[in-house]
Amino acid sequence: MFQVKNLRFKYPRNKEYTIKGISFEIKEGEIFGLLGPSGVGKSTTQKILIKLLEKYDGEVSYKGKDIKQYGKAFYQGIGVGFEIPVHFSKLTAQENLDFFKRLYSVNGDIDGLLKRVGLYEDRNKRVNEYSKGMKARLNFVRALINKPNVLFLDEPTNGLDPKNARIIKDIIKEFKGKGGTVLLTTHLMNDVDELCDRVAFMADGKIVEIDTPKDLKLKHGRREVDVEYIEDDIVKKEGFNLDKLSTDHKFLNIVKTKKIITIHSKETTLDHIFIRVTGVENGE
Amino acid sequence: MVNNMLVLFTGELQRMKRYNIFAASLLISLIWIGILQFTGIEDVSSIFPLLIFLDATSMAMLMVGVTMFFEKQEGVIKTLLVSPIDKSEYILAKSFANILSNVVTLGVLYGYSKLFKEINVNILGLLAAVILIAFFHSLLGFLLTYYSKDFTGLLTGIMKYSFVFMIPVLLEQVGLIKNETIKKFLYIIPTKSSMTLLNASSIGIEMLEVVLSTLYLVLISALLYYIVYKKFDEFAIRESGV
Repeated sequence: MFQVKNLRFKYPRNKEYTIKGISFEIKEGEIFGLLGPSGVGKSTTQKILIKLLEKYDGEVSYKGKDIKQYGKAFYQGIGVGFEIPVHFSKLTAQENLDFFKRLYSVNGDIDGLLKRVGLYEDRNKRVNEYSKGMKARLNFVRALINKPNVLFLDEPTNGLDPKNARIIKDIIKEFKGKGGTVLLTTHLMNDVDELCDRVAFMADGKIVEIDTPKDLKLKHGRREVDVEYIEDDIVKKEGFNLDKLSTDHKFLNIVKTKKIITIHSKETTLDHIFIRVTGVENGE
Repeated sequence: MVNNMLVLFTGELQRMKRYNIFAASLLISLIWIGILQFTGIEDVSSIFPLLIFLDATSMAMLMVGVTMFFEKQEGVIKTLLVSPIDKSEYILAKSFANILSNVVTLGVLYGYSKLFKEINVNILGLLAAVILIAFFHSLLGFLLTYYSKDFTGLLTGIMKYSFVFMIPVLLEQVGLIKNETIKKFLYIIPTKSSMTLLNASSIGIEMLEVVLSTLYLVLISALLYYIVYKKFDEFAIRESGV
């Protein structure tokens, strides 16, 4: 769907390139996570893909055509969900949505969406009366107002309680289930783990890892199992090679004869991968 | 294009009402009415263009700035930038809504003058002049907003413009500038052409001067529109969070 080749971008007032030659593809119907600490170029990359920045080097194509050749019609099929509130605060949610929906040739089921995200009853309230979470949900509805084929979502569950975050994630999965493509930017690795088909980690303007979450975890994890057990009233811990468990007599003996407290495979988490490949703590 | 323009235009009007921008504009009209009332002049035909001049110039710049700063402050500009609208539609819809506000002020002042004072002006000529002057100054409002970091910066810009371009024309209008060289020099600034067009509808101006002033304002508006259109991308990049 999106093809990015050797993309480089420098802001006019900067000496250094913000994006230093990245290449990747977002396939149709997948949820692609663009991850990394603040300031590594994720937002800049996203802005290039949604045609907010045009003076870049390299190639960016959408459906096989250079995105520079698309006019305003490009946005008919694109939905962008911002992290920060983007609505007229003195208008009601309904008035905001009514205004924006008239700019598109196709509209989604706005009432249905408002009901799903729990804003229908409050649709006639002014946006400045909304809580942070309600504004985030309204942003999400705004992104889907035109029944897009591609969604760009920036921290879509940020500021939401677990119940509402679950609703948003379910809608994203349904969107994908109907063939929609998503570019997701978030610091919440649980969301990435649950939603993304593939992820790219960015550091210093480059993509340092790109793969499925599962393969990344296998690549960066250890093929080991830690077993905690009790022997002679003492808690002991042993590590075993995951690939040789069935023939490892010591492991089999422990499992058969000892009281096991815990068994953990040493598969790593996306949080650990984030820290390892980007060199910083998540959320920095 | 027409449909989007209409959506953006009606949206502008809705927000001007909801954000009390229309109310502020009407309040300013009341101030102008107060001036008309308390000057004690019965025939307001000569003072009328002066008040319309102030409204169609400074208020036009200010109103565009106010609506754009609301959009910046509330992040709405970001979502507008990823909507299927052309920058020309955005610029023109905002300008037209702004012009309408100036036309309403003209109507209110004219209505008051007709009812309670004596006035003898070519209202259609005034209307055409207000549309042209307000359009030019709305575009100027865009440019000032592009380069203002905050609302105070915008006000400072408008003040500077007023001192350099508006006050000399006002001084000439009330007869405080009599030097012919200075009077001729004033013809290079757009506010002089604006005042000329407004005067043409009341006190009468030579046709050649009216035609030249109209041409001057049309050409400089076209040039300004081109600049505002071209500079919009820089503004958009900044407002997209860069």
